[in-house]
Amino acid sequence: MKAKDIMIPLEDYLTPENTLKEAVNLLRTAKMGEERVGVKGLPVLDEKGRLVGMLSMRDILKAVFPFYLSMMDLGEFTWDGMVESLAKKVANKKVKEIMSKQVITVPEDAPLMECIDHMLKHNIKRLPVVNKEGKVVGMIYERDVFFAVTKAMLEENNGG
Amino acid sequence: MSTEVVTSSQQIVMDTTFWAATLIFFLSYVVIMTEKVHKTVVAIVGAGLVLILKILDQHEAFHIEELGVDWNVIFLLISMMIIINLMRPTGIFEYIAIKSAKWGKGDPFRILAIFAIVTAVLSAFLDNVTTVLLITPVTLLIAEALEVEPEPYLISCALASNIGGTATLIGDPPNIMIASKAQLNFMDFILHLTPIVIIIMFFYIFAIWLIWGRKLRTREELKRRIMEMKEREAIKDPLMLKKSLFVLSLVLLGFVFHGLLHYPPATIALFGAGLLLLLSNTHEPHHILAEVEWPTIFFFIGLFIIVGAVVKVGFIKLMSLKILELTQGDLFLTSMVIMWFSAFASAIVDNIPYVATMNPLIIDMARELWPNLSGIQLLQHPQLMPVWWSLALGACLGGNGSAIGASANVIVVGISEKAGRKITFLRFMLYGMPIMIMTVILSTIYVWLRYYVFQF
Repeated sequence: MKAKDIMIPLEDYLTPENTLKEAVNLLRTAKMGEERVGVKGLPVLDEKGRLVGMLSMRDILKAVFPFYLSMMDLGEFTWDGMVESLAKKVANKKVKEIMSKQVITVPEDAPLMECIDHMLKHNIKRLPVVNKEGKVVGMIYERDVFFAVTKAMLEENNGG
Repeated sequence: MSTEVVTSSQQIVMDTTFWAATLIFFLSYVVIMTEKVHKTVVAIVGAGLVLILKILDQHEAFHIEELGVDWNVIFLLISMMIIINLMRPTGIFEYIAIKSAKWGKGDPFRILAIFAIVTAVLSAFLDNVTTVLLITPVTLLIAEALEVEPEPYLISCALASNIGGTATLIGDPPNIMIASKAQLNFMDFILHLTPIVIIIMFFYIFAIWLIWGRKLRTREELKRRIMEMKEREAIKDPLMLKKSLFVLSLVLLGFVFHGLLHYPPATIALFGAGLLLLLSNTHEPHHILAEVEWPTIFFFIGLFIIVGAVVKVGFIKLMSLKILELTQGDLFLTSMVIMWFSAFASAIVDNIPYVATMNPLIIDMARELWPNLSGIQLLQHPQLMPVWWSLALGACLGGNGSAIGASANVIVVGISEKAGRKITFLRFMLYGMPIMIMTVILSTIYVWLRYYVFQF
């Protein structure tokens, strides 16, 4: 099985100029396969359709989390309502300010194991698939790779 | 006893070696200032050149204190870093910071003032960068809670840490270096510098009240956020905390008496670091040792060798003769020139290389003035003492003059940038320069009154 066999064709994506407010809205309603169930991360494409980054749920949590809390053990000294007020503060930040800029991609004909290799080594759950022109054509989700694995296991069991 | 290598009768020969050493020295300084290459790399390369060109031989660089590495400084720094690294996970510093904020009853200016005092006191015993890294995260949290601008807290933290660091032998690297060269002990600094630092802090608190006092306002319900914090929850490891406080008290006691016991400060600190490592029951000292600020340590090592080279070839002696010529041997004038020059120099360049250069220069000057004396009689000649104190005051307090004047300032500016409110170079100077001038004027009056009018 190859990357293009399990990828979900690209439909939803963000642009670097989107605000976080717009981004979370799309994350909540984006298509995952056939249904609009929302996704945990989306690719960011510039006006020419080139991949410039990824924005995940984690990036948004990081944007709300004040960096100074990670410098010392201060988690116990936060207060009710802090997250909400910081979330409002960052709502109008641009996607380009907080997206992950180093994105690992796979070509369409990459073997499935290459996808697992990237996911485990770099601790990522989504892989954009790019064609020969460098355009993003689809996304591979950890869930779908897992389904491919389970399918193989069950098939073997049935056969034996 | 260190070997007397440079004597007052030394002839200065301006040969190739002289110019090579001087060139390496100046080039290193210029490259450090431009920040194109990391300062530690510059120092190591410079030291390497000094050795490979045989300006100093390896024995001189490693084993002759006057020409090479001052191991007392190196081991004092490393040992104190190990002790602090072992203490940090206990949560004591979070505890102190939260407790301070609660003392301020949630009032923004009172918290600012209390944080300034706490920062100054911590800086007197820890290095300034460590202090700033421990205090600023809490100040940002407090500013967030009170919904006030974090800038006053950040700037004040840097300024107070540079002032507080001036107070003791271990507070700031210039003092550690001066103490080692002039063989001064911990109590000398307590008796001569701590009083003026306390006076400066009173003026400083008044100054920050004038600058920010009336602008910082918050609402009553926000103050409750601070008052509801439970500082006890910060303590993560009470047993290790007890052990750390025991060792720290022992080390401080050792510092107080090290002069009487004839132990150099590094001996006390190294013993403390070893003891706390043992008590911590660590089976993996690797990460504690890895957290030592090795770039800083190697910066010192490299600089000592680069400066040693210009000492050996006589360039420093030449400079000291020039200063004496300028002040015509008047030591009051010399003190004042050194204090003010040091202050402005330290506002622009790192005060560590500056003091590394000034130390041998002052010793050379003393040799010119009292050619028959040597050892401690020379280094601590009553008339020379105010010059040492002026150097310490100028070099430490001068750090407040600009955003790059001290490592603590650089850290604070970096943090402000991360917080999304970058303190610009000029903005820092707007507050830092007047505070620096105020503190140096106070020091000038102090040195003049204490050593030249009342002479005690």
